[in-house]
Amino acid sequence: MAAHSLDDLRRVIRRIETRRPKRPAPAPIEEVLGGELVDTGAGPLLVVRREFPLSHQHGRQRLGAALEAPLDLLSAMTRAEQPLADARRLLFLDAETTGLAGGTGTYAFLVGAAWLEEDRLVLTQHFMRDFDEEPALLAALKPLLERASGLVTFNGSTFDLPLLETRFIMARGRWPAAMPHLDLLRPARRVWASCFADCRLATLEREVIGLVRGDDIPGGFIPALYFDYLRSRRAAPLARVLAHNRDDVLTLVGLLAWFGGALTTSETLTPAELGGLGRLWEPVDLERALACYRGALDAGLAGEPAQAIRLHLARWEKRLARWDVACSLWEEAKRQAGFDPRPWEELAKFHEHRRRDFVTARAVVEDALGLAEAAGAPLRTVGAFTHRLGRLERRMTSAAGPPSPPRG
Amino acid sequence: MLGGILDDLLTSPSTGPCITATRHFPARPPVLVPLPSSLDPRIAEALRARGMGELYSHQARAWELIEKGHHVVVVTPTASGKTLCYNLPALQALVHQPDARVLYLFPTKALAQDQLAELEALARQLPEMRMFTYDGDTPQDARRAVRARANLVLTNPDMLHSGILPHHTKWATLFQNLRYVVIDELHAYRGVFGSHLANVLRRLRRICRHYGSTPQFIMASATIANPGELARRLTGEPVEEITESGAPTGDKVFLCYNPPVVNKELGIRAPYLGESAKLALRFLQEKIATIIFAQSRLATEVLLTAIKSGVADKTGDSGIVRGYRGGYLPTRRRAVEKGLREGEVLGVVSTNALELGVDIGHLDVAVLAGYPGGIASLWQQAGRAGRRSGRSAALFVATSAPLDQFMVTHPEYLFGTPPEHARVNPNNPFILVNHLKCAAFELPIGDEERFGELDVRRFLAALDDEGVLHHTGSRWHWAAETYPADHVSLRTVTTDNFVVIDTTARDEKQTKRRQIIAEVDWGSAFATIYPKAIYLVESEPYEVQELHFREDEEKVAYVKRVNVDYFTDAISAKGVWILQRLADQSRSAYVAEQGEVLVAEKVVGFKKIKMGTLENVGSGEVELPQQEMQTTSVWLTVPPDTLARVSPSREELIDGLRAVTYLLHHLAPIFLLCDIRDLGSWLGDTTPATSGAVATRESAKRRLMEAEQFNPTIYLYDSHAGGIGLAEHLFDILPDLLRRGLETLDACACQAGCPSCVGPVNEVGRRAKSTARALLTALTD
Repeated sequence: MAAHSLDDLRRVIRRIETRRPKRPAPAPIEEVLGGELVDTGAGPLLVVRREFPLSHQHGRQRLGAALEAPLDLLSAMTRAEQPLADARRLLFLDAETTGLAGGTGTYAFLVGAAWLEEDRLVLTQHFMRDFDEEPALLAALKPLLERASGLVTFNGSTFDLPLLETRFIMARGRWPAAMPHLDLLRPARRVWASCFADCRLATLEREVIGLVRGDDIPGGFIPALYFDYLRSRRAAPLARVLAHNRDDVLTLVGLLAWFGGALTTSETLTPAELGGLGRLWEPVDLERALACYRGALDAGLAGEPAQAIRLHLARWEKRLARWDVACSLWEEAKRQAGFDPRPWEELAKFHEHRRRDFVTARAVVEDALGLAEAAGAPLRTVGAFTHRLGRLERRMTSAAGPPSPPRG
Repeated sequence: MLGGILDDLLTSPSTGPCITATRHFPARPPVLVPLPSSLDPRIAEALRARGMGELYSHQARAWELIEKGHHVVVVTPTASGKTLCYNLPALQALVHQPDARVLYLFPTKALAQDQLAELEALARQLPEMRMFTYDGDTPQDARRAVRARANLVLTNPDMLHSGILPHHTKWATLFQNLRYVVIDELHAYRGVFGSHLANVLRRLRRICRHYGSTPQFIMASATIANPGELARRLTGEPVEEITESGAPTGDKVFLCYNPPVVNKELGIRAPYLGESAKLALRFLQEKIATIIFAQSRLATEVLLTAIKSGVADKTGDSGIVRGYRGGYLPTRRRAVEKGLREGEVLGVVSTNALELGVDIGHLDVAVLAGYPGGIASLWQQAGRAGRRSGRSAALFVATSAPLDQFMVTHPEYLFGTPPEHARVNPNNPFILVNHLKCAAFELPIGDEERFGELDVRRFLAALDDEGVLHHTGSRWHWAAETYPADHVSLRTVTTDNFVVIDTTARDEKQTKRRQIIAEVDWGSAFATIYPKAIYLVESEPYEVQELHFREDEEKVAYVKRVNVDYFTDAISAKGVWILQRLADQSRSAYVAEQGEVLVAEKVVGFKKIKMGTLENVGSGEVELPQQEMQTTSVWLTVPPDTLARVSPSREELIDGLRAVTYLLHHLAPIFLLCDIRDLGSWLGDTTPATSGAVATRESAKRRLMEAEQFNPTIYLYDSHAGGIGLAEHLFDILPDLLRRGLETLDACACQAGCPSCVGPVNEVGRRAKSTARALLTALTD
């Protein structure tokens, strides 16, 4: 072995790690952050408890509206394995962790949980002042989990819940793996994927809930703040982490409230949201989904999102053999600015295969080709239309009689 | 047929005198014993169904020891049925206890696939067998199913390290019920890889303790000097050795072949690659299945070209001879393996990649083009030829390097020396510290806890000091955002591999398809795929157009198929500087020291070498970054008065010292029982590096010539970052090594230096040999 003294080792390690500065140590955390030390049976834990009346407005959302969310519908829409029931016993969960790496070395040092109790929402935040308080944190969560009828998270299926499960197994505890769970990221993606640049919680909170956080700490800084606290014991900077977590949990409630409203009355929705809502309805009630799509188009949705919905809707109408409706959608789609080969192709197919009207089909393809070439469309697109044109011409010469009557 | 060719080789006037030794290993009958009575009748039935009504004695012995609860290592030759030694207990455990779990570790994914196929064949009729591989090739969506269902998991140390241990909660059932850990190809875990594995196993045992299981280790190894010791070092447990094989072997002949001297004065022998190709062709032309082992990637390609053209000339079909080496893509390698097993491929030219237990069936002849660097490898490679009955042969063709010449002219040493010790140094600080981080990530480390047998508190304190661990409640916790296993590769310094992409077709057809033809690891990339290098894949030459190596880009070499008759050989510049002295011994004639050094290397150019004649036909320059490594080293400084006694000419002294460096580097592996590639050497001085500038052979010489202080220093360093213990050993035997060096020099028949003693005279200079003799005489006084 090359290195023998402690100094050598330090030198070796320094080459691998970057050095962190040290800070002086001051005041107890419960004074700085509020909250109290609670005996969990597995040691003391800092718990910060807040209560909110159901009438509390989180951004534009009234928290109490979450109670009215149709959970069975949402469960079906998100294809949840276990359907949720009983909104009064839901547990809203959000964890702040020591990293995003996952695995057994990532800790949930702060877990925020909220539930409805009579006429108010109770939000408790469980904070471990050091790693050895993890048993206390898990012990505090245990009764909350036990009395919950289901969990509501945002991105919990891939992050928060597996991480908490790992923590429980590490501590030789049991994790309620079969608990019904609604991960709001799933319906959120369906509704807002085409509305915003991303579907992060912060984005939805700003755009949908209408909440602008004042001095929010970016999530990426949170682990470092916790590590700094472990070394310096200066708790003040953690106030922003607790506030961040509290807002996250309230936004969970707010989002569920939004879904409750959107699924019962869709009056306040933007055209884009209405289109997105259609995607959510699709697996549950197709006609209702199609009505949403039509509503979105009627409400003046424009541009690429409108075109996507138009073609999507047309595909359903085609599948339902409502040809007139489908055709008028394609006709409208092909009138949009910029050359889009898809409606042309659908119309050509319709005339060629369905109506066996080769003359009209050829006219469509010829128009499409002209536009495609003018628009500088990729070779593949032009090639496909050329191919179709050739086939149509062959069919026209071989079927030298009158076109057979349209089928069906 | 084989016998005829061998007789001809021995008696013909052109080859007969080149054969310096012949050893005959007579056929040995099997030692069979009945199936053990404790073996489950269903497994016994499966064995009988496959024609195994009895066991070889070593298989039965393994059964017995494992049944008694011992950890076991089985050390028997290739094709002796050692897999059954671990398959039987594993199957028995699963048949009796469907909840039990078994973990198999293989050094490569391909071996795991091979073994899964063999297990499945054996276990077809058995109940409750849920056997799966779990490695980098397992699709993400299948991983959950494997974790939930498998009771026998085949994986590799890398996956255990980065994919399983850091997620042990997902494998809780496996760790709670882990009955056996099987480690095959144990001999592959030496040096850096072995030192890493020992630490991975320390972590595995910690996790098992956490879940309350104490698995038994069953290991299998090729012949090495210290299988038991290696097994104990790796597992940290007492291990029983089984070394007596009960398997039958066929009749085998081993020949040593020294290429004829073609220039006596310069000591130049006929090129060994050409001789090896000629010998291999003798067999291949008679349709005798032959494997040719080359000692490097380049030698593989050169040999393959020669042999393919030889076969094409005579039999009109060169597809029956294929190449095989690490850089080839897995699909290509699988195709060659299959071709060999099924007899469609008659001959294969391979690097040591085929030393491992990859199933390629049985071959008749092995030609070893050059000493493979170790006795264990020699027998592994020779063992690739041989059937359980019938005759086989192995030929060792010596290069002109001192080590090869020593071996070919001292066959008693070659045949009499025990194979090498497989060395591991689990306590190498670089390796250890990295695994402590992984261990803390997996499970907080207790104050009183040992890591393996080691007290690691000071390491943990240092890691705490650096902010990656945090101590609380008498345990050390991981306190960083990162996933430490991602930053530790068990095999190389970095995990980045370069892909080699053929762009020939892209230019012609304008396609953007990525035609990947090979992979090259980071460590050897700069020496093989620098811009303008000729990169050979199955002897097809490709020229490297661009190399992308910056940290923020994908590591890619773009190549284009070319028609050239040369290959390229990298010219590198080097520098060695002392970081810390740890020990010294002063003698009257020299000062020897041991400690830590910084080694920097940089590829600065290349030579073009004509295929066939191997003459130098050009050169080029390359601009690549410098690679640095810290390692352990021995260095020997000759003081001015000793130098003055030898020669007044600084240039002569430099040539002489270079000659001594060459000789010591090439001889040391014999005494350290290590591979020559485990060591590096350099002639520099003890002036601390100011610029850290590397130097080529020529510029280093110039630098020494012009130095104000002439302190020439010979460095012999461990070529693995952090060292695996070779420098310490070398420090102890240095006086002996110097004496042996002088003996070797005196015994060599050349006049002024040849590749077999101090290096070829045209490289080291005309007076190098005599100066080296004078120097060694002074140093051994």
